Amino acid sequence: MKLLEDHAKAWLRSRGLPLPDGRAAGSAAAAAAAARELGGRVAVKALVAAGRRGKAGAVKLVHDADAAAAAAGAILGMELAGQRTERVYVEQAIDIAAELYVSFGFGRFAPQLVVSRRGGVEIEAVARGEILSADIDPLSGLSSWRAAALWERAGVDSRLLPPLASLTARLYDAFQAADALMLEINPLAVTRDGSLSLVGAMLEVDDCALFRHPEWQAPGVADAGSKVLSEREQAVLEADRKFAGGAIRYTELEGDIGLFVSGGGAGLLQHDLVVAAGGRPANHSDLSPASIDKPAALFDAIFANPRVRGVLVGMNYLQLLPCTLVIEALLVSLRRNGVDPRRLPIVLRAFGPKENEARALAATVPGLRYMPHGATLGEAVREIVAAVKAGGT
Amino acid sequence: MSILIGSDTRVLVQGATGTQARFDIHYCLEYGTRIVAGVTPGRGGEVVEGVPVFNTVAGAVAATGANASVVYVPARAVKDAVLEAVEGGIQVLACLAENVPRHDAAAAVAAARAAGARLLGFNTNGVVSPVERCKLGGIGGDRAHDLYAPGRIGVCSRSGGMSAEICWTLSRAGLGASTCVSMGGDPIVGMRMLEILEMFEADPATDACVIFGEPGGTHEIEVAGALRAGRLKKPIVALIVGLFQESYPPGVSFGHFAAVIKGENDTASAKRRLLAAAGARVAASLEEIPDLLPRG
Repeated sequence: MKLLEDHAKAWLRSRGLPLPDGRAAGSAAAAAAAARELGGRVAVKALVAAGRRGKAGAVKLVHDADAAAAAAGAILGMELAGQRTERVYVEQAIDIAAELYVSFGFGRFAPQLVVSRRGGVEIEAVARGEILSADIDPLSGLSSWRAAALWERAGVDSRLLPPLASLTARLYDAFQAADALMLEINPLAVTRDGSLSLVGAMLEVDDCALFRHPEWQAPGVADAGSKVLSEREQAVLEADRKFAGGAIRYTELEGDIGLFVSGGGAGLLQHDLVVAAGGRPANHSDLSPASIDKPAALFDAIFANPRVRGVLVGMNYLQLLPCTLVIEALLVSLRRNGVDPRRLPIVLRAFGPKENEARALAATVPGLRYMPHGATLGEAVREIVAAVKAGGT
Repeated sequence: MSILIGSDTRVLVQGATGTQARFDIHYCLEYGTRIVAGVTPGRGGEVVEGVPVFNTVAGAVAATGANASVVYVPARAVKDAVLEAVEGGIQVLACLAENVPRHDAAAAVAAARAAGARLLGFNTNGVVSPVERCKLGGIGGDRAHDLYAPGRIGVCSRSGGMSAEICWTLSRAGLGASTCVSMGGDPIVGMRMLEILEMFEADPATDACVIFGEPGGTHEIEVAGALRAGRLKKPIVALIVGLFQESYPPGVSFGHFAAVIKGENDTASAKRRLLAAAGARVAASLEEIPDLLPRG
């Protein structure tokens, strides 16, 4: 997830890195107060993690507190990348002599450093020859002399190299300490007196490492993104966090066939097959269960979706877990949601460990359509598509 | 013959005392895998499914001569487990946890590669050689012998579940696998798909390969490049799924964390086109795979 600018910059500042002073403000009056505190010229920016804020008129450079209030008034409430701007960031404007670009991300295996002498514009607009990159050994980290070598090749003035290389190495340490997927500084400003300042900072942190950063799990830290989650998507997200072990994911779509599909690749294949057979998925899902709690929560979401007129429980040949776990979760959720498989067609394709026990369990609920052993993923898909079509006329 | 594992593979299991590990160890032993040790810090001296448990990898290796490891520890403990295994001299690792923090994954992979060890995963369900009757991890579940018939096809899949479906399809068509590799579904994995295919290229027991690909990432694009350059000569059949994802905006994750479309070239249809143009045989369905393979 991407952190909002105030949190990203607060994190970098807490590590002793040089940034312009700034404050978040939720109203025009608060923006004026912030501008007075900072003194001099300030930039007022929309606090949303949308790119190209400048082009959208969501960044304004002003000379005093009154102008800051007016700028904030214009920016607050603006719709940017599908989000309403609720707060602005008021930041000291600095005298920029030159603008550089530096970012950290990941290559195929290793972290990667990217630098350019052409900062201040979108990196996509910079000629390829002026962008340099180097892999970083994650075990030894980034030394300042390797950073210096890259900046030298990028054509940076010799006198600037020592502070720039040292700052770059410290930025890598921050990138790693934040468990970031991406840290982009653009522009990295060189001021008229030769000092360096991280004027533009974008920090995307790893959702898979949030357990090490509880401070970033609070609301208002991350960019919410433009997608508004449905009640059911929200419920699955919460269940995924609440129950230990395994994982569930659920994305709602426009169709009417609920997909309880597992195993990443097999889920993608079955979704393709449903579309090819003329069906319309009501959702996509993925799960790697450890107990019945998460799969049952996923079933709950599928059954609670009012558009659903049939459900495919399509597992690739199970290797890591018993079939009974899936059926037990299904039965719990059927009961909890008052679903009758004689009215809502449910096709099961679950082969593997404890398949006989799973079949016996499924047979206790009339109407469940358990595919015969050996049926292909494609056959199960065609069965549910046909059942939904037959039920819909 | 096979790649990565064989009859001389002596397996240790890190995190052996957990539920999933016990489940898999049972079926691995039944299949014929030589599991010689388990490692769970603090549980040394216990026995799991008849396998002795040690406190450290070094202790397990010294006592049993283990040379491969299956890593069952949770995602947050993966980095240390891999570093310990590599330092202990383990040469082949299968790492099952998914959603490993990216910096941990990069560090673990760097350590393995620096030591010349082969790391499968993260988010692999293992590797199986039906010819040598050896498997690492849960691959095949309780019916590895049914699902994975011995034969001369090398299989490499970004999805562990689909490795089973592919090999089962091959078995029913009278074909079989030399080795089947579930390479892992996380964004950073220890071996590129191309590196695995290069091993099959050098393996005299493999005549042709099947790959299973998804949207996102560049594995399949690298394979197409090597095919076009003539560096891979054995026939390749490719099943690339996730076409439906192209009707949704880029950046949406539908399955594996790595299967997120970022641009125009990493969609399922772009990968199908690139592979076909490079000379691979692109399958429209699972059922079509056997028909596209050469008959020996």
